[in-house]
Amino acid sequence: MVMRKIPARSLSNAGVWFLVLISPVALFGLFLAAQGVDAMGTYASMVRLTLFTGYGMGEVIIKTTPLIFIAVATCVSAKAGIVNVGGEGQFAMGALASTALGVSLGASLPAVAGIPLMALAGILGGLIWSGIAGLLKNHANMNSTITTLILNYIAVQVVSYFVFGLLKDPASFNWPMSPPIPNHLQLFKFGNSKVSITIFIALLTAVLVWLILGRTKWGFKIRVIGGNPMAALHAGYNVKKNQLIAMAISGGLCGFAGMLEMGSVEERLRQTTGVNYGYLGFLAAWMAWNNPLLSILTAFVIGFLSVSGNILEITSGLPSSSIRILMSVVLLAILWKGRKK
Amino acid sequence: MIGALTLLLSGAIQSGTSVLYGVYGETLCERVGVLYMGIEGSMVLGAFAAYMVTSETGSPVLGLGAGMLAGALLALAHAYFVITRRTNQIATGLTLMFLGLGLTAFFGRKYTSIHVDGFRELAIPLLSKIPVIGQAIFTQDPITYISFILGPLLWFLIFKTRTGILFRGTGEDEKVVFAYGVNPVLFRYLGVLAGGALAGIGGAQLSIAYTHTWIEGITNGRGIIAVALVILASWNPAKAYIGAYIFGGAQALQLILQQQGYNISPFLLLMLPYVLTLAALFAMSKQKRQVMPEELKRVINN
Repeated sequence: MVMRKIPARSLSNAGVWFLVLISPVALFGLFLAAQGVDAMGTYASMVRLTLFTGYGMGEVIIKTTPLIFIAVATCVSAKAGIVNVGGEGQFAMGALASTALGVSLGASLPAVAGIPLMALAGILGGLIWSGIAGLLKNHANMNSTITTLILNYIAVQVVSYFVFGLLKDPASFNWPMSPPIPNHLQLFKFGNSKVSITIFIALLTAVLVWLILGRTKWGFKIRVIGGNPMAALHAGYNVKKNQLIAMAISGGLCGFAGMLEMGSVEERLRQTTGVNYGYLGFLAAWMAWNNPLLSILTAFVIGFLSVSGNILEITSGLPSSSIRILMSVVLLAILWKGRKK
Repeated sequence: MIGALTLLLSGAIQSGTSVLYGVYGETLCERVGVLYMGIEGSMVLGAFAAYMVTSETGSPVLGLGAGMLAGALLALAHAYFVITRRTNQIATGLTLMFLGLGLTAFFGRKYTSIHVDGFRELAIPLLSKIPVIGQAIFTQDPITYISFILGPLLWFLIFKTRTGILFRGTGEDEKVVFAYGVNPVLFRYLGVLAGGALAGIGGAQLSIAYTHTWIEGITNGRGIIAVALVILASWNPAKAYIGAYIFGGAQALQLILQQQGYNISPFLLLMLPYVLTLAALFAMSKQKRQVMPEELKRVINN
């Protein structure tokens, strides 16, 4: 029997990747030490409390679920050659639309009708929001990176408008939040945890999108359009129409994620719904080279880091925002290493 | 009525100045062919550094210097990554924006909502006595006065000097600049660094000259807006005022309407600056061909 030899180059490559991922951790460790925090102990408890306790793992899964959706959504538009950094706004609009429906009609609807209707509203909410950016690109040649980012800031105000106004919970003592979504419209949760079936829906969606992009005729078309729009035009593809469709799917997925979040974890709409998810999801997709399957992994890493931030706050008294520093340094290290050739 | 007009104009300038510096800064970056989405990070870092140094030393001039330096440092990171390491410009910029927001949220906790004196408004003799506009335009802080003359100055630098030609050349076609015997990499670095420094000044204006306070995320998307308004100004610093003051005016209008007790939802008013920015870009796209630097087209279309 001959042992398969591992080529030396891939070994050294793995070594470089190891260095790339470990050096930000070391750097942030020094930063923690400079703040008078026991870095090693903090790291140890971060890993132990997130990955090795049921509660911590649950939190990581909860954080990872919307990130998978937004990352996969980013992949769809990226393959068509459009940068969608509006996951945040699209997520928020999906959450808003589905909450509005759930809260206003919820009591009169049985779950069989209510949940799909809420999902539809969520998808529509996100789709409309990304569609605006798509139409602005098609009809006014406006850059999607910029329009989707600006639309994020508008979405925050739209959501605030509703949670302070029409959708405000009369029983909330002036807290800006919507009433809870009726119990029978909530999604199935495991035991007493907040972990619900949404993680499986996210995983399934990632696989499905991966198959559609990689194995179908439309996926091929989209990849040609994203790869070389001139070639796509010569092949007779309708570039604008297909890019708009890709953008609509992208926003629809984000909106759907917003609905799932409302129906499982958040249960009611707040001003902060979706904050930061957009950028993190975008960066997860980017780290995964816009591959939906790989996005599951990168979303998990970012989800783990997010939860670690909360643990950092509890164990060392540092604000949870400090984890953003670690996260960006990790991302910068990956950027520095560069794409696979 | 006249009082309200003065208030609106004055508010538009006060609130628009930080965005104006952002547009100046982003224009310099984009003129050398670099898209810097992290300008939001440079602005927020500049705002915080200026605020912190001013509150520690009592000197707004030192604060302004610190703001410039902080903005430039983050931009230097961007320059290193996208020019030397050739990384993806959008992803790098967004990561740096995230880093800037993270760093300031972290170090800013101790400083939240403390008042700092900073720069005060100086009324210019005679000019400030002109009815309506005198009060609005010539009773501002020093950073704002500098921004008035900086637009034409940068315009002259970019369009009328040899350095400016090479600067623009770097953004149009680096091969030509190289053939001219000038290193385009050096020019790229300079452009991005100067851009970051200007963004830092914009942040400083926001914290130590306009609001005189620090709150987390004080820039609230002004950097993103600046990136958008560069398009509106057609990469020309002399036209940067229009967009910046539209944005500032919308911000001011929201405050004025609230003070006057009009019954309009504050959230609809708060989204006004962003909606107006989009509308302005839309109107502009219908008007004329865009003159985006060629090297930048390559970045954006990738």
